Amino acid sequence: MFNVFQRLQNTFNYILTLIIAIGVTVSVLGYAQLYLEGYQTISGNTLVNKSINTLKYSRNFGGRPNVGKENIKLNFELDTDLTSLFNWNTKQVFVYLVGEYAGLEEGENSKVVFWDKIISDKNDAVLNLSSLKSKYSVWDYQDSLANKTMNIKLEYNIQPWVGPLIWGSVGSDYIFTAPPVKTANS
Amino acid sequence: MNLRLQLNQGLNMAMVLASAFAFWKLLSVIAMSNSPIVVVLSGSMEPAFQRGDILFLWNREEYLNVGDIVVYKIQDKEIPIVHRIVREHKVIEAEKPTKKKFNKLKKSKKVNNEVSKRQKLLTKGDNNERDDLPLYAYGQQYLDRSKDILGSVKGYVPKVGYVTILITENVYFKYAMVGILALSALIQDE
Repeated sequence: MFNVFQRLQNTFNYILTLIIAIGVTVSVLGYAQLYLEGYQTISGNTLVNKSINTLKYSRNFGGRPNVGKENIKLNFELDTDLTSLFNWNTKQVFVYLVGEYAGLEEGENSKVVFWDKIISDKNDAVLNLSSLKSKYSVWDYQDSLANKTMNIKLEYNIQPWVGPLIWGSVGSDYIFTAPPVKTANS
Repeated sequence: MNLRLQLNQGLNMAMVLASAFAFWKLLSVIAMSNSPIVVVLSGSMEPAFQRGDILFLWNREEYLNVGDIVVYKIQDKEIPIVHRIVREHKVIEAEKPTKKKFNKLKKSKKVNNEVSKRQKLLTKGDNNERDDLPLYAYGQQYLDRSKDILGSVKGYVPKVGYVTILITENVYFKYAMVGILALSALIQDE
């Protein structure tokens, strides 16, 4: 009865069962530890120092050769401690600064990323940064961003070695009003 | 040579294949995604995901969130891409009628004023310098939640999927596998 196929099949099944068992155990334990250490209750501060709104005419920045698109860049400060997100099952933490704002019509809203960072070492998890420049030049789906009120906050995504991906946000909301378009003579 | 035994073995083999297929389809229904489990093929999300890692997808949310990692497929391009959402815009737009509906509307001389709330997404690979605009179809500026997204990543297992990369990309590995199978099929007859 024991031909090569069956032996291979049995070995394969055994390995697969082992992998699933280890995977499930590790994910549950890792998540439980994060939960007990209160990963949802991290506090911090964000603050926008300066911002600039310029018209861009490249397709790469949402514009067209004869129609400019408003692009916003920020200069901001950040102060938070993400050390408690790192345990033995944390591969990396991805932090990103987002702005949330309402659209023109009722029910429309947007969320955009200005800056992000990959943290793969526990020792780099204390973020105390001043006069940071936004990584991305942000434009809207609709025409204009000028004078929009945005809610700026810091969010993170925990990437485990094995298991579920976990999202959360740092309690650091900051209200920011986008500047009007900068023209050549202003 | 025992014909009954051979037939039985054949049937068993078919059973294994059929149940694997049924299991896959069951997962698809549960996750509401065409491919509920995918293997990472590119390094654009490193160090989060490396080649050969396995991702579990879920596709039942009405709207996705910034920071979610999604698998999307561009029209006319073969390979799905795994990248992170960096912008989302929920917008209310007039629904474009299908051709049939359009003709009907034209006959009845009614104006189409159906609107729907859509979600437009912009994605980026963590390891890439800039967003995915150059990867999208010609003239496409955003992904559409309901049209382009295959699912968002909920769980992760490293390395296990590397076997499939070996089989699809390494000819010698493929020949070796086929060779071993053929050889064992010959031997088991004894």
